[in-house]
Amino acid sequence: MKDQLARLNARLDAIGKRLDEKELRIPVDLVTGVLFALFALVIFQVMPDQVVVSEKDVVNGRAFPTLLMALMLLCCVMLIGKELYKLATRQPLAWKTINLLVEVKALIILLILAGTYFLSRLTGLFVVGGVFCCLGFLLYFRCRKPSYYVITVALAVGIWAAFRFVLGVNF
Amino acid sequence: MLQHIVPASGLLFTLENILWINIGVFIGSVFAAIPGLSVILCVILFLPVTYSMTAIPGMMFLLGIYCAGGYGGSVSAILINTPGTPHAAATMLDGHPLSEQGRTKAALKIALYASTFGGIFSALMLLFLGPQVAKVAAQLGTAEYFMVCVFGLTIIAGVSGKSMIKGLISACLGLLISCVGSDPMTSYDRFTFGIPRLYLGLDLAICLIGLFALVEILAKAEKKPGSLNLDARKIKDDGVITKDEYKRLVRPTIISSIIGVMVGIIPGTGASEASWFSYNTAKNMSKHREEFGHGSVEGIAAAESANNAVTGATLIPLLTLGIPGDGTVAIMLSALMINGLNPGLSLFTTQGDIMYAIMLGLILVNLFMLLQGKFLTSLFAKVVSIPQEILTPIIVIFCFAGAFSVNENYFDVGVALIFGILAWVLRKLELPPVPILLGLVLGSMTETNFRRALLISNGSPGIFFSSAYCIIFLILIIAAVGTIVRGKVLERRAAAKKED
Repeated sequence: MKDQLARLNARLDAIGKRLDEKELRIPVDLVTGVLFALFALVIFQVMPDQVVVSEKDVVNGRAFPTLLMALMLLCCVMLIGKELYKLATRQPLAWKTINLLVEVKALIILLILAGTYFLSRLTGLFVVGGVFCCLGFLLYFRCRKPSYYVITVALAVGIWAAFRFVLGVNF
Repeated sequence: MLQHIVPASGLLFTLENILWINIGVFIGSVFAAIPGLSVILCVILFLPVTYSMTAIPGMMFLLGIYCAGGYGGSVSAILINTPGTPHAAATMLDGHPLSEQGRTKAALKIALYASTFGGIFSALMLLFLGPQVAKVAAQLGTAEYFMVCVFGLTIIAGVSGKSMIKGLISACLGLLISCVGSDPMTSYDRFTFGIPRLYLGLDLAICLIGLFALVEILAKAEKKPGSLNLDARKIKDDGVITKDEYKRLVRPTIISSIIGVMVGIIPGTGASEASWFSYNTAKNMSKHREEFGHGSVEGIAAAESANNAVTGATLIPLLTLGIPGDGTVAIMLSALMINGLNPGLSLFTTQGDIMYAIMLGLILVNLFMLLQGKFLTSLFAKVVSIPQEILTPIIVIFCFAGAFSVNENYFDVGVALIFGILAWVLRKLELPPVPILLGLVLGSMTETNFRRALLISNGSPGIFFSSAYCIIFLILIIAAVGTIVRGKVLERRAAAKKED
């Protein structure tokens, strides 16, 4: 059993090392500008369907979101313009390095969070999701101390009990 | 003011309030002592707990967390050279070297005394200045209020990230999210995408759990395994501070408290700016400059008194104008509003007793922080070493339980999760989250005043430049933007010079 665990750990370390070497560089300001400009345009597009107005209104419910999206669009144009100017004058752009290992680890954490949510929702018992969350994170951290498992699960049940019986939350 | 003090004291000095203050102070100290856990995260996690409380115990609990967080951050800064909260970074410069000289307890005591002084000084300033600022706020109409909101949002968007443009994009996003749900003036639904549950809008606490708490869980992926757990040294010294040292502490503590209050009143600035500014001032004014960075007692006192002096000052614009001084008090605004307490002069006149009870309570919070710090420091020191393996799932369970308990609905937990993912993407794009928070908090107030002002003027935007207050705020907005842009340009030039 110990050998198998050691082998598994070694394999995980090897995969981690390989992923850690893979990096992706993105021109962060340019990407932000383009993404949010598209977002503002989409909001402009869906506004007539999503915001019902009466023709009698002097200032209707679309005025404020329209103002916001116009401002967002203006900021995006400035951000993109600044980066394009840098590109034209051969100045270094603002880059962001995305590490693949970090993103994979974040995805695993997200799966644990999603698992906790769906288990709680499907069973209707928050404590089931809570226990899954504890076990998921302890395995994620590759924790080998049995006492940590006991403490964490006990705390999870304790928090559920406190919310359920002291604060009267029905879950 | 005096007519409110006696009834306010009656409302404040109850067993329930004192209990909640102490629970808040304890939780705040523990959270802030653990590197990676922030005061804002703590306030978000425990905000749902206050939903079932009345205004005074709820605010006392949150203020306990907020103030004790100012001191708690210094514990890990002194013990393990890692600030528990960003504003304790200046404390670390002298706190840890003093601890290495075998004077850990003395360093912690100086931090505690200075924090308490700063906190009480700030609370007194709130008590005296708050009602006066509220009187000015009473003269503001809808157009002026809109300008105040724009001023608050601009300055916060400008200072909370590397780029002002990105801060503004974040603020716009936060304001747009606040539009989801029923129109505040016509009650027509907006951006609900056919989801009936969205008609009620997105609850602030749920959005914040995702934006600030769940994203920190995802950020564990960025940490190297070795950096997750830290060992704190044991406190072995007797903590004696000499008479001469006490004398040396007086001046930096008083001056830094004044700086802390002045910085705290300005929206968008916060404890970090105050502590660095005060630290530098104390260094320049000291007769023992050579000790700074090597365990100076004055350095610790300056940084700590300043970051706690911010706590009461940030409440001045919050309680009088509804503009939160920083992200943490922005969350407290929702705790106030849930109890029907809307910022402004009316809060000081119609709800005067409650308001004064809260302001007096801030003094009490600092006194209990002193007591807990005196007797529980060894416990706070042990907390620094709680393993992340245990801490992480517990925070997640708190987040989910908190999100669920707001409306007893799993839909909200899903929303919190989606906001967590959104915050992760924003983090990758280097967009600051604090302007989103401010946008969420101020969204309804900004829009309502904007539309009301335009209704009054029959759609003419000239109303926003029609009064003296509007012009003053316009000048302030232009000045703030100019100062921020100038600061960024100078920062960039200095960085370029350094590279050369």
